[in-house]
Amino acid sequence: MAEVVCELQHVDKVYEGAVPTPALLDINLQVQRGEFLVVLGASGSGKTTLLNVMGLLDTPTSGKVFLAGSNAAELSEEERAALRSRYMGFVFQFHYLLPEFSVLENTLLPCQIAGGQMVEENRERVAELLRRVGLGDRLSYRPSQLSGGQQQRVAVVRALANNPELVLADEPTGNLDSKNGFAVFELMRFMNRQTGTAFVVVTHDERLAQEADRVVVLEDGRIVKDYVQRPALTHEL
Amino acid sequence: MIDRFSLSVAMRHLLYYKGQTLLTMGVVAVSVTLIIFLGSLIGGLQKRLISSVTGAIPHVVIRQPERQPIAVWEVASGQEELYLGERIKLQQQKRKIEDWRLWVERVPSFSENIRAVSPVVESQAFVTRNEKRKAVSVVGMIPERHNGVVDIQSKLVRGRFFGLNGGEAVIGFKLADEFGLSLGDKIRLLSPEGAVGNYTVAGIFDTGFSAVDSGTVYIPLQDAQSLFAVGSAVTTIGIKLTRIFEAEELAQKIALQVPYETNSWMKDNQQLLSGLRAQSQSSNLILVFTTIAAGFGIASIMITSVVTRLREIGILKAIGATNRQILQIFAIEGTLLAFLGAVAGAVQGVALSLFLYSLRTTVSETGRTQEVFPFALTPELVIRAIVIAVVVGLIASLYPAWRAARVNAIEVIRGV
Repeated sequence: MAEVVCELQHVDKVYEGAVPTPALLDINLQVQRGEFLVVLGASGSGKTTLLNVMGLLDTPTSGKVFLAGSNAAELSEEERAALRSRYMGFVFQFHYLLPEFSVLENTLLPCQIAGGQMVEENRERVAELLRRVGLGDRLSYRPSQLSGGQQQRVAVVRALANNPELVLADEPTGNLDSKNGFAVFELMRFMNRQTGTAFVVVTHDERLAQEADRVVVLEDGRIVKDYVQRPALTHEL
Repeated sequence: MIDRFSLSVAMRHLLYYKGQTLLTMGVVAVSVTLIIFLGSLIGGLQKRLISSVTGAIPHVVIRQPERQPIAVWEVASGQEELYLGERIKLQQQKRKIEDWRLWVERVPSFSENIRAVSPVVESQAFVTRNEKRKAVSVVGMIPERHNGVVDIQSKLVRGRFFGLNGGEAVIGFKLADEFGLSLGDKIRLLSPEGAVGNYTVAGIFDTGFSAVDSGTVYIPLQDAQSLFAVGSAVTTIGIKLTRIFEAEELAQKIALQVPYETNSWMKDNQQLLSGLRAQSQSSNLILVFTTIAAGFGIASIMITSVVTRLREIGILKAIGATNRQILQIFAIEGTLLAFLGAVAGAVQGVALSLFLYSLRTTVSETGRTQEVFPFALTPELVIRAIVIAVVVGLIASLYPAWRAARVNAIEVIRGV
């Protein structure tokens, strides 16, 4: 059986308020190593909450989250931050690149956060990734000098900078036109095959789901569909 | 320990947003300039004021205690010594120090704060020339020693002071003008006891101290001893100090070791001292408020910076930056801004002070000049201003930094 990079067990998430709003209800989900998983759902279905819980950005109301074999509830804030910087990568709807850093520096930020020596270890690999996504001649550019599609490609490379086991992407194509959106999606798919990193991509774009290994559909906080379209490519291939 | 990631983000941010950086630095620089400018001006004014009071007098004086005549029936039984005399005679009796040579030698060893010791015969006398006469203070002294108490040598307009011979006198330019005297002219001194001495004017000075320039005549010690009939004794021993605010303390210490009484300039100028203290306090108050204003300036700019960078902070946290790293980014920025601003302000403040200090104005007919603004610019003042600014910068950035560290990554990324 393939290795599990992330597992949710009976996860509930209820947003407290005047009227408590349930966002996730009894979620059970295992993400396998190398898997490319697309989470589909209408807005308000709990997709982003699911991603935040998996990324340790949010804590579940009940249930357990396992990452890299550890129970997230038992980790300190510092340990969670360390896990985020070394084990996971994030892609958001907006790229949020830092304007004062160059393209290469932006992609190396996760390494810098994790510690100085990581930068040197990963510099060449990250530069190679940037070349592979067609930004080889833009390494020293500022983000503001790139187009939206290019910026999002930089964000994808940034998510991969620390050679993570898992990349979580929240509507990564949501802010792009369909052509650029599809290109970014293709890039993630490509990286998934190249590096064996598992991807969990949240989207409401059903066309993208056709490219996924596995599709999970959320409705009102519950998983209503979870099917494998094709077996995940493990890295040995 | 300073995190390298935090340092690099902070530095990059300061360099990238040059306008904001310069603005914040400007706020700090203006305050530091003000602190240095005001601090050195007030210090200088005080120094000038104190020097106008103490410049021409010893800081501590050793003299024979005054013997107060009392009525016979007031004498307590058992008191052994009893002086009887007519009141009039007693007033004229000189208070003398016979063993002054011993004390002039010993006193300097009492404290390293003692800069000069000068034995003096001082008395009132009349200067007469032709029909004119004027009451003056005659100071008999050894020029080389007494110059440590009041600097005459470098204030000479004409003639000499050091190497004064018997029968020669040195007078102030105002007195010289009043009597129409120039070098080589004769003056006559008339002591209260009626003794007369003739002197040749050997030097004319302009000290800037009005009382000295118009009413003091310096003659050699031995001449004064014979004019005022004190034998080989002196009337006082004057002491000049390096740290003049320790005068009273030192006067009391010396009093314990000599068989005479001592007096300090501080005792005679209580009002001036309390005035100076009030001035120092009000200037400190100004400096405190200036510093607080600078602190608020930094804090408000930093808070704005946190608010405009919320998403950036959120993304950094999402990709693994710890609260500590985020906190450090802003604390480093605030401290660096304060430090750079303080250095710029220090340069400005020093330049401004030095420029104004270089302006001079003529203050007497003899052509002597004086600074328009007296500045007491010390390295301590400059360093203190910088250190205060940096500490305030750090403190002012702590709240914004704490706000930044508390940013909820999900909320800002989702744009809630």
